[in-house]
Amino acid sequence: MTICSAKCAFLLAACAINPLWAVSARAALGSDAASVLADGVSMHAGVHVDIRQQYDVHEISAATGVSVREYLNRDGIVFAVSWSGPVPPDLQRLLGMHFTAYAAALTALSHPGIHRSVRLTSTGLVVELGGHLRAYTGRAYVVALVPSGVSAAELR
Amino acid sequence: MRPIIYIATLLATTLLTACIGGSGTTAATTSPPASTPNTLALTVDSGPAAATGAINHAYATVKVCVPGSQTKCANIDHVLLDTGSWGLRLVGSVLTANGVTLSAEIDSQGSAIEECVTFGGGQTWGPVALADVSLAGESAAKLPVQVMDDAGTGAPPPATCGAGGTLINGVSGFSANGVLGVGVFAQDCGAACVNAAAPLPIYFGCTTAGLCTAENAALSAQVTNPVAMFAADNNGIIVNLPNLQNANGDITVQGELIFGIATQTDNPLPTTGLTVLGANSSGDFSATYNGSATVLPALIDSGNDSYAFDDPTIAVCASGAFVGYYCPAVAPQAAFTVNTGVGMNNATNTMDFAIADPNTFVANAAAFIDLAGGGGSTSFTWGMPFFYGRKIYIGIDQRVAGIYTGPYYAY
Repeated sequence: MTICSAKCAFLLAACAINPLWAVSARAALGSDAASVLADGVSMHAGVHVDIRQQYDVHEISAATGVSVREYLNRDGIVFAVSWSGPVPPDLQRLLGMHFTAYAAALTALSHPGIHRSVRLTSTGLVVELGGHLRAYTGRAYVVALVPSGVSAAELR
Repeated sequence: MRPIIYIATLLATTLLTACIGGSGTTAATTSPPASTPNTLALTVDSGPAAATGAINHAYATVKVCVPGSQTKCANIDHVLLDTGSWGLRLVGSVLTANGVTLSAEIDSQGSAIEECVTFGGGQTWGPVALADVSLAGESAAKLPVQVMDDAGTGAPPPATCGAGGTLINGVSGFSANGVLGVGVFAQDCGAACVNAAAPLPIYFGCTTAGLCTAENAALSAQVTNPVAMFAADNNGIIVNLPNLQNANGDITVQGELIFGIATQTDNPLPTTGLTVLGANSSGDFSATYNGSATVLPALIDSGNDSYAFDDPTIAVCASGAFVGYYCPAVAPQAAFTVNTGVGMNNATNTMDFAIADPNTFVANAAAFIDLAGGGGSTSFTWGMPFFYGRKIYIGIDQRVAGIYTGPYYAY
């Protein structure tokens, strides 16, 4: 298993020499591959790239046990993220520009409570949260960015 | 017409064989006579006066004292029974209003120990403090609890905790004055928080200047399930809630939380008919839904108000009091089938349940059976509807009850 493929090494280099990329590398969902590397840096972990037929999966596995997968379509845009681990990842970072919509959907849930396992939808965004202390899971995707023919069931 | 969909679900229990007969020295099979009062009343209602609107919340009253004090005590009502977490968390402003001030524990650097815990999409934040806690006749002295700092009297949460408005510290967030986590573990984080090279962002040391840094916490310092610290009756719990009187919802339900399993005459293990689901090191058993090959982590969780799972064929309520929950509009479907071919060496069990259209429910009721919600595709949760009309046994990790060793769920 390659921790950092040639492609990811290239992205690292590009990120280092191109300040515009560095500036844009603040968010993941809806953003580009450079943002995935930035997420890896923030989690003190490398990025492993798995190239599939319709999309690439960039996997970040941190020493903390938190694992994040980011799915990039052929336009190089992150259309889905999923995670698992003893704590959730930094969702504000991972959901990026979609975090505000997520937080609003969370607040709008119709009954108060823990909502330990919940599915939130908001104008083309789907966020699913599950798990509890010691084991959290979840995923989020932007419906319009999912490559045609790709089932949501693949994104986990 | 009350549309109901009947759903069959297959449980695969991965650790069941390890749980049965695993201990060489067997526990006593005859229960000693009842001695310590071990039964605590549970009430399902619409929540504390300050934040009503709760549904399917089972509440207990918890007696909390400043350690060593007989007078600085309070009975905190409407503490949410949560079999999906471990440890007691109390809302700080409620403690203060009841005359109980708990002091933050201090780490070896002289910093206050604070904690960030994720519940669903939100986080609780506040200091870890010791308290003497009494539940029925049982007591846990110097129990590490979390004080949820809704008044902001301690250090502000770090950027990763509750960022973006997802802090749920107050009474309104949970519709409760606290959370009573009595699930399958003794400590809330466990080994992962003890010796990590990069401490998880759960326990923090906070300086008086309010700067908080993630740090490890010894097991004895972690927020702890009070049941695990009882002198006896400490191997688990039984949640005993009756069936609803009205299938479309009751205003209130009275039940009981029994401490200990097979430790007294009032908490025996059934000799037949008990389904035992062994849990893994995360506290989950595994389940597949309606023939899907996907194995999901699963939980029997009184903290969740509904069955929570993903089924895109069931309509989601778009309006009314139950937006986001499932609004099934069709009669039982033959399409729901059970996959019996899951996993290897797994003890399996099939569990059927029904879900109903919540728009047929009684307005203002607080207890609903057959309520389900779109919980997402990453887990499967048997929430409160599953608890009505049965006893649920929850065995704590490494504790023995009869032939079973925790962690497990049974019913």
